[in-house]
Amino acid sequence: MPASGADSLKPSAFIPVCTAACLLVGSTSLFFVFTCPWLAVTVCPAVPPCCAVLFLFVLANFTMATFMDAGVLPIANEDEDKDDEFRAPLYKNVDVKGVQVRMKWCASCHFYRPPRCSHCSVCDHCVEDFDHHCPWVNNCIGRRNYRYFFLFLLSLTFHMIGVFTFGLIYVLHHMDELWKLHCTITLVVISISGLFLIPVLGLTGFHLYLVSRGRTTNEQVTGKFQGGVNPFTRGCCNNLEYLVCSPISPGYTARPCKKSVIHIQPPFLRPEIDRQMPAKVRDNGIQSHDLQNRVWANRSHAKVKPRTVKYFPAYHLRIMGHHTKSIIPVSIPTVPQLRPVLEAISRGSSPIPPEQVLLSRIGSQQAGLPVQTNSTSSSLHLNSLTLNSRSLTLKHGNRHGSKYHLPAMHGDSLGSNPPPSIINSSSLLANHGSSSNLSYDNLINPADPQYLAQRGAPPVGYHPHYMSLGADATVLQRSSPHAYSPVFMGVARQSPQPRDSSPLQGLTSRDPSPSLQGFIQRDPSPSFQGLMARDLASQSVTSRDLTPPGLVMRDMTSQSLRDSLRDLGPQGMTPPKSAAARYDNFSKTIMASIHERREMEERERMLRLQARSQALYGPDVGIYDIPCRRSLPPESIRQPGSRGPTPPAYGSREFLMSTGILGYGMRTSPLSSSSTSSLTRGPKTSSSPLQSSSSSSLQSKGRSSSPAYCTTDRQTQPLPSSTSTLPRLTSSSTSSAPSYTSYATAKRSSLTYSSEGKDSVTLGALK
Amino acid sequence: MSTDTEHSASLANKVFIQRDYSEGTTCKFQTKFPSELESRIERTLFEDTVKTLNNYYAEAEKIGGQSYLEGCLACATAYLIFLCMETRYEKVLKKIAKYIQEQNEKIYAPRGLLITDPIERGMRVIEISIYEDRGSSGSSSGSSSVSGSTAR
Repeated sequence: MPASGADSLKPSAFIPVCTAACLLVGSTSLFFVFTCPWLAVTVCPAVPPCCAVLFLFVLANFTMATFMDAGVLPIANEDEDKDDEFRAPLYKNVDVKGVQVRMKWCASCHFYRPPRCSHCSVCDHCVEDFDHHCPWVNNCIGRRNYRYFFLFLLSLTFHMIGVFTFGLIYVLHHMDELWKLHCTITLVVISISGLFLIPVLGLTGFHLYLVSRGRTTNEQVTGKFQGGVNPFTRGCCNNLEYLVCSPISPGYTARPCKKSVIHIQPPFLRPEIDRQMPAKVRDNGIQSHDLQNRVWANRSHAKVKPRTVKYFPAYHLRIMGHHTKSIIPVSIPTVPQLRPVLEAISRGSSPIPPEQVLLSRIGSQQAGLPVQTNSTSSSLHLNSLTLNSRSLTLKHGNRHGSKYHLPAMHGDSLGSNPPPSIINSSSLLANHGSSSNLSYDNLINPADPQYLAQRGAPPVGYHPHYMSLGADATVLQRSSPHAYSPVFMGVARQSPQPRDSSPLQGLTSRDPSPSLQGFIQRDPSPSFQGLMARDLASQSVTSRDLTPPGLVMRDMTSQSLRDSLRDLGPQGMTPPKSAAARYDNFSKTIMASIHERREMEERERMLRLQARSQALYGPDVGIYDIPCRRSLPPESIRQPGSRGPTPPAYGSREFLMSTGILGYGMRTSPLSSSSTSSLTRGPKTSSSPLQSSSSSSLQSKGRSSSPAYCTTDRQTQPLPSSTSTLPRLTSSSTSSAPSYTSYATAKRSSLTYSSEGKDSVTLGALK
Repeated sequence: MSTDTEHSASLANKVFIQRDYSEGTTCKFQTKFPSELESRIERTLFEDTVKTLNNYYAEAEKIGGQSYLEGCLACATAYLIFLCMETRYEKVLKKIAKYIQEQNEKIYAPRGLLITDPIERGMRVIEISIYEDRGSSGSSSGSSSVSGSTAR
């Protein structure tokens, strides 16, 4: 029951102080009147003056202890806590001389209590270095008046000892006159002083002990430093010195009003900020933009329509995501458009699966993504490995720059669609990365030795990958079940949101297409060339069919793609073969169609994921984590049929990727506010400490944490928080908790983290 | 008060510099540069201000000859000395107030910032108010001039 300040003004509150005052003054006065004259005469004339001085000292300290502000902290302005009211944890940990000390949020005063500060329920305010509320002086004892209180106790003890001793001497000398007035009064006086000497002596000794240990009564009673280290002690001697000699800190309330008017008039000076950072990003983007443009231009020179830029959705994603936070629209070829291509692929006659076409388009037209069907198995194996490790490696994907973009891009373009032909192509692309394998592999597992080896040895090393792409029918069929392109999903998974920009930026900052360049520089192997010729021959027919859609898809928007294309373009034109040209045409059309389709799929998916992630993800959706169930939106929220014939299974890679891609664009979570509202520190009125404590136990103000950690927090929080978040009225008396430091440590670990978004998710999961 | 000037300032945000408790309960503020001020003031200026304030507070709370003498004198006079004499802490607080006023006038106000004396916040935070240029207003508005300190 948070008492109002009126408690100290209640008549009953004055009884102890009045009693104490009366007893003190009265007894001493009687002593001086009836006993001291005899003492002055008989014992020593200096006795009464000394007693008088001592009594004066007692009175002065008593007065200061009673009327001096103990160090009351004024209530914080609303501005100070308006951000924290509903989202901040109940406790904050701070490091004091290497010891973790817990600062509790004061719901009445609206700030985190400084170390050693406590809220006095009688006076209803926070007191700095709170010791206790003394009823005998009807005042809090805190930082500013503890010295006076201690000196009062000390001097009172001596005074009482003196009065008792001298009164006893008097009585002993007047044993035959015991019932005379003087003697009777002296008897009364010494009995009072003797009676109250014992508790006063005990209290003085207790406070002497506290001072020597550097603790406050509050800390002693609550056992905060029983087992641990007290960071506030300065050693016994220094503590005493601090007690007696330290300057009296000023009172914070009722300070003299000093108005000083300061004119703040715009225009304001601004510092010379380094604008390189955004410029860098911009430059990177611009560069890539230019690159893409250049590539695009080159490609258009090479009769490559701008649309081919869409082949780098990942790259584009990087740029776009940074600016627009949306998936780059990529046109995805329609099924009818791709049918010829797919048929060709399934026939095994097309050495260049759509993804490879894309890749080759991207980079190498020339270097050619040699599409060879031989090492399909190896590539398949590799792909599966990469796919399996994707969830883990994608985390680091952003470190590998544009390599990731390529595969992602391919995935985007190809993996997004239900139509079987497209699925095939997309799955082919996704699973085997084709030429995209190179980039896909880069994306998936940059550390993959094979990949590395292949990167090291461009043409030869790469081939297996390319080959693995294989327009192999078996490969296709095997990969067909995947509706989503893992590559695409991998792209999606690339940290959305806050991290979105960073990985993307990281990617953008890199040379747009190291892998593309790898493609470019790779000289086509003879086999590849042969294959190309063969493939192109077969593809040229289909490419003609596909030309119209391909042309339609040419309106590529991504400049990054253009840049990468540009990178690849000039270099890629190494195989000066008509086959290459035919290959180019074929790939063009295919790519165009694929891009169109991909674009459509992308848009759809974005919308779905956006809706989904908005419901589930808070601003922390940018946290890219090893997927776990907690981080996934509940299945119920997932849009049905989000992915066509085989929607990603909940918890599957595809699902994760798909959610990730939306998360990339997500910014707010509607649930977060509702979920976090129950996790506040408690209402401002602090009417229910228990409620606030329970809610705050689940609350934390972190912005990033793994879902697992968040859950751990949840599980661990209730236990410590239940004890720690007891109403403040009882908190001072409760914790027989373990040592203060260990307790604080446990509390800290359980309260520090977990983003709001995660909270909402876990809340949804748990509730 | 802004009169018929073209621009006026309005309070946009407040930054709170928290206490640094790493050395105990002695009054010390964190010198970490808040991100909200990155575009408003140079880091060095801000850090200089906070470090100077910390030095002032350290000087005020120093236990030494002067504080010992003050304590003895106070005891000897039954604390009546407090009625006529100002403690050292109070003197340093006045110096701090003057310093803050000067900093505001010279450095912070031209940048659209305003430091509030921490004593007004119970020595818990240094409150820095951030003002934004509201553009031309053409009319007098009181938002561009603020009172430096008030008593609670």
